[in-house]
Amino acid sequence: MRVALERLTKRFGTVTAVQELDLEVRSGEFVALLGPSGCGKTTTLLMIAGIYRPTTGTIVFGDRRVDHLHPKERGIGMVFQSYALYPHMTVSENIAFPLELQRAITRPDREARVREAAAKVQVDELLDRRPAQLSGGQQQRVALARALVKRPDILLLDEPLSNLDARLRHDMRGEIKRLQKEVGITSIFVTHDQLEALSMADRVAVMRDGRLQAYATPDELYAHPVNRFVAGFIGSPPMNFIPADLAARNGDLVARAQDIELPLPPAQRPRGNAAGATVGVRPEHIAIVAPGEGQAAGEVYVVEPVGREQIVDVQVGGRVLRVVAPPGYGGKIGDRIGLRFAPERLHLFDPQSGDRLA
Amino acid sequence: MAAVVGERAPSTNRWLAALPYVVLALATLPILVLYVWLFYSSFFPRVEGFRPVGDFTFDNWRFLWDPLSVPQMRNRPPIVPLTFNTFIFAAMTSAIGLLVSSMAGYAFSRLRFPGRRMFLGSVLLLHSFPSVTLLIALFVVLRALGLYDKLVGVILVQTAFALPFGIWIMKGFFDNIPWDLEMSALVDGAGRFRTWWRIMLPLVKPGLLALAVLLFVEGWNQFLLPFVFMPSGSQQTLSTLVKGILGEGRFVDYGLLTAVGLYYIAPVLILFVLAQDQLMRIYAGGVKG
Ligand SMILES: Nc1ncnc2c1ncn2[C@@H]1O[C@H](COP(=O)(O)OP(=O)(O)OP(=O)(O)O)[C@@H](O)[C@H]1O
Ligand SMILES: [Mg+2]
Repeated sequence: MRVALERLTKRFGTVTAVQELDLEVRSGEFVALLGPSGCGKTTTLLMIAGIYRPTTGTIVFGDRRVDHLHPKERGIGMVFQSYALYPHMTVSENIAFPLELQRAITRPDREARVREAAAKVQVDELLDRRPAQLSGGQQQRVALARALVKRPDILLLDEPLSNLDARLRHDMRGEIKRLQKEVGITSIFVTHDQLEALSMADRVAVMRDGRLQAYATPDELYAHPVNRFVAGFIGSPPMNFIPADLAARNGDLVARAQDIELPLPPAQRPRGNAAGATVGVRPEHIAIVAPGEGQAAGEVYVVEPVGREQIVDVQVGGRVLRVVAPPGYGGKIGDRIGLRFAPERLHLFDPQSGDRLA
Repeated sequence: MAAVVGERAPSTNRWLAALPYVVLALATLPILVLYVWLFYSSFFPRVEGFRPVGDFTFDNWRFLWDPLSVPQMRNRPPIVPLTFNTFIFAAMTSAIGLLVSSMAGYAFSRLRFPGRRMFLGSVLLLHSFPSVTLLIALFVVLRALGLYDKLVGVILVQTAFALPFGIWIMKGFFDNIPWDLEMSALVDGAGRFRTWWRIMLPLVKPGLLALAVLLFVEGWNQFLLPFVFMPSGSQQTLSTLVKGILGEGRFVDYGLLTAVGLYYIAPVLILFVLAQDQLMRIYAGGVKG
């Protein structure tokens, strides 16, 4: 089922948690709400669920306006960050609870559906346990089963992975994604972890201070971030930003900072005639070369191996640029090196507004 | 370092650790002596100071099987209906108090309604209001409602006095339940009432049990209200009987008094022993188990 938010706003007293949010989720799509803590992700989700009433704006499911319906009339399944399993009920009672409220479902039917939902997330061995006797990962699976058992039109997940350890988080990332595609249910999930958003979602909505910053596919967000905030938030290690002057040289446009000189290919040139720009470049788009080569000269500041590759901080002029070096790289602190920038991978942002220039 | 401290600790700290117990035991001794005295004086004809006089006897307990042979019991309602009244009184105040407290406590904890702060404030104020000061006003109100000298009237008054405490306690228990659980129930398709009934109430069960016991005991022990508002006798409670025996002219039969007194407090003592664990939790609160 399609979900559309139109100019959705929520105020708590003087705090504006969500401001004029426009968002459309296509039927069957998996969308991530991504943003730093306190940016209004949970508030948005709770408005969609019907727990919070929007201050202004509308929420549409399919082509039905739902913003004045109670949660129970909206056909929603939700997994809470704390999982919110009912402590006094067993796993099977927890999963059965949403069905208990639907009079049309008979008892044998209900039991069959509980078993089916439990099997889907592999908790069918645990049906008689209480939530307190489950591990975090098992609790999360039960919460998923409970959210899905009534076959809702829309699935909402609030930071579903944040309470799991790193290993389990990785496993569940894949599993939730597979489950979502298998069930084919329109889903919205909230996260502050950009890697989770990029790896799981069909499209990612980036939020900041209650406002939507960008809404695009993971590839698009990575390749063409619309502003400096999005550019810095997406990708790890984060993008380098270099304040630079723009100057013409031999008919070419060059971005210049201390010890750096970057010729800009035609596609990367900003429209108009800006005198300066913030140049953004991802660590994986800078290569370490021999001193004197490339577009910048610097000195190795520190080398951090992170398994497959190494992250090298390089001092260039007065600043430190972060570079991803291949596994074999054997540089040491203090080595003098050159840096080569992939010219088509440069991003230019307005120094004041942070908007993308090119 | 840690190991050295660990080795030294038991021998020197043992006495220190025992100290609080010694102090507490000394402080509790007079109360304990009181109960022991109460117990054995009910089985002897007379007690001088702490020394029983005469032979062990059940004579003082005669009021149970042969009330007519006890002069002080003759012009009073029989013990069995009195006990029954007391039980009804305590049980009803406990039940009504529980029902209202669990609903009002939930509302105060979870709902935002106009005047909420004012209501909360007045609940606290009422809790600290000495009930004696209201006796005259209550008398007038009960008369007007035709509830004077009736058990129902006293039950209502007693419940009203118990409510501020009950509401406050239940609000505390509801406050401790995470919002997520309630939101989850709403999303799962439950309405507000069902959420309260199926999710919230079971989670405050420890609080409900503790409150039930406390209200019952308070009702059982209540003397002033039945004494003042049910003067004519047929619906009297045990506490007024004890007072009656105590206030009987110049000569007080201490043997009888202690026996009746013991009979009166026995249910409360038993209830406390049985419900100890529940009662502990009322000041701990929290969602557990
Ligand atoms: N019930 C509430 N009353 C008042 N302010 C609130 C309420 N709920 C949220 N807020 C405020 O609204 C803003 C957005 O909160 P929200 O919980 O939506 O953030 P979030 O993006 O989910 O953050 P996190 O990643 O930390 O969970 C915050 O500034 C928060 O303090
Ligand atoms: Mg949140």
